[in-house]
Amino acid sequence: MPRKNKQTLTLILVVVLIIAMAAISFSLRSSGDYEPEPVADEIAPDLVFTVGPIQVTSTVINTWIMIGMLGFGAYLIGKTFKVRPGMLQNAVEWLAEAIQGIIAQNIGTENSNLFFPVVATLAIFIGVSNLLGLIPGLHSPTPDINTPVAMALVVFFLVPYFGIRTHGLWGYLKHYVDPIFLMLPIEIASEIARTFSLSFRLFGNILGEEIIIAILFLIAPIIVPVPMMLFSIFTGVLQAYIFTLLSCVYIGGAVKAHQSTKS
Amino acid sequence: MDWNTLPYDKIFVIVTVLVAGPGIIAGITVPAIGQAIVALSGLKAISRQPEAGDKINSIVLLSLAMLESLAIYVLAVILILVFANPMRSFILGS
Repeated sequence: MPRKNKQTLTLILVVVLIIAMAAISFSLRSSGDYEPEPVADEIAPDLVFTVGPIQVTSTVINTWIMIGMLGFGAYLIGKTFKVRPGMLQNAVEWLAEAIQGIIAQNIGTENSNLFFPVVATLAIFIGVSNLLGLIPGLHSPTPDINTPVAMALVVFFLVPYFGIRTHGLWGYLKHYVDPIFLMLPIEIASEIARTFSLSFRLFGNILGEEIIIAILFLIAPIIVPVPMMLFSIFTGVLQAYIFTLLSCVYIGGAVKAHQSTKS
Repeated sequence: MDWNTLPYDKIFVIVTVLVAGPGIIAGITVPAIGQAIVALSGLKAISRQPEAGDKINSIVLLSLAMLESLAIYVLAVILILVFANPMRSFILGS
């Protein structure tokens, strides 16, 4: 048999297999007589236990698991660092260099080591927490509104911290009224609005993805959600990149505030 | 027409669903046009000056993210309307 025909045959076999799996999953769904769970219940975090007035939800448990995994992985990788990097070390160094590139482009190359730890932490935390839902049994912490709001609040407080650290208190406060005094309410409104948009962008993207996957699971649970889950890897990494980029732009706006008037 | 005996719970659910569909259509179409314009001009700029590609790329991604957040706002509002409406307990009772 010629090679081309063989390839076509394999392709057709794969397509038929996928269609058969989808049909089986559809028929499983229609023959079973259990009530499909509402989508909202599947997405919403469960209450695990309460400590006084604080409610500990499954989001927090998943975040702890993720932090443990990240810390242990970082310890294992950091223990085996060599001068001549292996495959894993190459990947980690590529990630660090990519984050340093974002910082250099948006904040500035001088003392970029000051910004690197916090920006890299944000990037890795958000990226891994977006991808955590792909592990069976675990759920992403980001579709819960509390996690993106916490991340955005970190950026909200980092901006004046780095601004005051670079320009001093008076120098930082002066950029609110930079050309004229009328800019003050606009600047304050934009600081609040960008915190909202930063948190809602992450939350809405990941939540929309999770809802689509949950609906596909309700319709056809076996193979139909897989392409959407593959797409959710792309969305999660892209959202982590955009969050990092935007927080770098905001920090850069505070740090570079007076460079044009000084020089 | 007796305004006190209307089936307000059914009307509430119907109105919510009727608003959700056109709302998501309107809220996605308009940012999509904006994102298309941004992507188009970014592509034009890169094809004119390929050596500035990295800088243009990050700016294009930034503006796409800004525009996308508009669609996300609509999505959040629609999700709240359909799944977690704060008026639900007021209209439907407990």
